[in-house]
Amino acid sequence: MKCKKAERMILRSLDGLLSNEEMTLLEGHIRSCPACQTKKEEYQGILDALKEEEFPEPKPYFWERLQFKLNERKRYEPLSLWKQWGLRAIPISFLIVVLLATAILLFMPPKEEELAPSLSQSGILLFQNTNPLQETQPILEQEGAENKSMMLIFTSLAEKNGIRRQFP
Amino acid sequence: MEEKDLIQQSKDGREEAFVALVRRYKTKVFNLAFSLTGDRDTADDLAQEAFIKAYFGLPKFQFRSEFGTWLYRITVNHVKDYLRKKSRLSEISMERVKEISSSQEDETEKREKMLTEEQKRRLLRQAIRTLPEKHQVILSLRDVQGLSYEEVAKVLKIPPGTVDSRLFRARKMLREKISAFLKSERRPS
Repeated sequence: MKCKKAERMILRSLDGLLSNEEMTLLEGHIRSCPACQTKKEEYQGILDALKEEEFPEPKPYFWERLQFKLNERKRYEPLSLWKQWGLRAIPISFLIVVLLATAILLFMPPKEEELAPSLSQSGILLFQNTNPLQETQPILEQEGAENKSMMLIFTSLAEKNGIRRQFP
Repeated sequence: MEEKDLIQQSKDGREEAFVALVRRYKTKVFNLAFSLTGDRDTADDLAQEAFIKAYFGLPKFQFRSEFGTWLYRITVNHVKDYLRKKSRLSEISMERVKEISSSQEDETEKREKMLTEEQKRRLLRQAIRTLPEKHQVILSLRDVQGLSYEEVAKVLKIPPGTVDSRLFRARKMLREKISAFLKSERRPS
């Protein structure tokens, strides 16, 4: 048996963890190895000294002092709970807000302005239940045939370009 | 009253049940803190704080382990935190232990027979405090507090095989640290 293995076995033997067979092997090695014999004595001395360690008593009124500290801590505990859970709530709240915003954007009905590109000016007026000829009516009622046709041309051009012209 | 009932009643907020648990465990918790710090006042404070942590942690205790093991784990972790903070402020160097050991050695040359077991224990305590934290803890749990390998494994949440190897390493380091003293002890007068 090598001394390195013997050292490990010495410590296990002091803990009472060696089988009889292992114990016989170790004792055989120790008898023939003074260095391991010394190690065993040293370890035995160390472990005995540690086991015999004397402890002082806890200071008096242990519970009374503890009770005072507990009551103090209880007063601040809701705050510490908030610190513990409040910090976790921040990312969760952010996620909820993002999900809600996405849902609103997906399921909200389109606004009237969004319909505008697909509808002409007269279509929008019809959609709004308004007479599309309302603006051209005064022009049609004018007497001058030349002025009337010119104004109708401008009106139709303005309608195509999406510009609403104000007529007197 | 059964310990399980005391724990359940403490969980339900009955203070007298928690008082009984404190009375049952205060010495063990204090001794563990003392063996790791070596100072009565500090150990007392740490023991109290460990009980406070246990009190507020009781709702999470699910009876999956022994209450004592759970309480030891809280204490060990709390003392480790304290030691980490403290070691940042003042670290006992290995040289200091060698110094202590050498001075003891000189003393033994002069008054060898005067050495007492108490001096040896004091030297051991000082040497333990120079070991890495995990080795201090395992020595304290196994060799000072006398916990079994299984209990140490549960408290530290490590496999029993790791307890065995870590304990071997810790004891070996401790023996090497106080080797000068041990040699002087063997020297014939």
